[in-house]
Amino acid sequence: MKILIVDDFSTMRRIIKNLLRDLGFTNTEEADDGTTALPMLQSGKYDLLVTDWNMPGMQGIDLLKHVRADSNLASLPVLMVTAEQKKEQIVEAAQAGVNGYIVKPFTAQTLKEKLDKIFERIDG
Amino acid sequence: MDEKSVVSEDNIARTHDLLACMEKGDEAGAREVLDELANIRETTLYQEVGKLTRELHDAISAFGMDDRISSMAEHDIPDARERLKYVISKTDDAANRTLNAVEESLPLCEAMEKEATELQQKWDKFIKKEMNADEFRALARQVEQFLKEQTSTAETVRGNLNDVLMAQDFQDLTGQIIKRVITLVAEVENNLVNLVKLAGLPERESKIEKKMEKLEGPIIPGVDSGDVVSGQDEVDDLLSSLGF
Repeated sequence: MKILIVDDFSTMRRIIKNLLRDLGFTNTEEADDGTTALPMLQSGKYDLLVTDWNMPGMQGIDLLKHVRADSNLASLPVLMVTAEQKKEQIVEAAQAGVNGYIVKPFTAQTLKEKLDKIFERIDG
Repeated sequence: MDEKSVVSEDNIARTHDLLACMEKGDEAGAREVLDELANIRETTLYQEVGKLTRELHDAISAFGMDDRISSMAEHDIPDARERLKYVISKTDDAANRTLNAVEESLPLCEAMEKEATELQQKWDKFIKKEMNADEFRALARQVEQFLKEQTSTAETVRGNLNDVLMAQDFQDLTGQIIKRVITLVAEVENNLVNLVKLAGLPERESKIEKKMEKLEGPIIPGVDSGDVVSGQDEVDDLLSSLGF
């Protein structure tokens, strides 16, 4: 299970990386915005994308749209972890095909629940 | 100041004098009366100029607070910007120190857990008398080694926890800085309101629609309102109402 973590703040990437590690996901890589993340996703075999929304360069929502538009990546599960709490934005992310939406600040428990749900749906 | 009427008893009397002097051919007398009249005229003009000068002076002193405004623009605001940058660097630093300490401690705890579980299993085997003498000697050596290691592990973890503790000192410093910036913002606001009053502009609600940034960032309780969710539960409810 290889996971790409995308966030412009290195501390947030470290927090997510440690939480994922604690949940048994040790194979993680990091990117600081959509522009760096997209080529990594296209060239490497990732099983999950965890991304922030508000980032310089390419934002999380655009990264999600690029992923869904790319036939090789279209089925990649995407979990959004963001401080954006407007209903309009949550709906936009859902329509763009996000698999889970977590608002910051979040707990380890929430992350676990959303991951379980994503993988349950994939396995099912 | 009321402008004195030109038609006064004094002036009528002076005019009579002037006419009398001129009819008599009294050159000197006529000049004297004319000078007197001109003087009165000048005094009024001086009073008028004086009045305007005082008004100008008042207006300038009222703008005296302008000094404060320009000093805020030149000094206080750039200063506040630097202070806020310092807040960012302090909080960033604290987060990294904490994460370093945690990342160093976690593997130590995991190793301790793994080793303790293994020893527990072997110990159970010994209690159940399922262990031969060689195995027991190996177990004794392993226990000795484990105990030695744990002393140094505990020391490292305690040091790291202290580091986490000390990293929290940012709260005090950044809190003080942010309070000062809040005071400055309140002062700027006050001065702007005064300036608006002085300029005689009626205070009215801005008709300009508040331009909304597309990305709002974190929601601040008591400040932000509108079409936002207030936590993960509401996000989940919203998504499930969309058939998610």
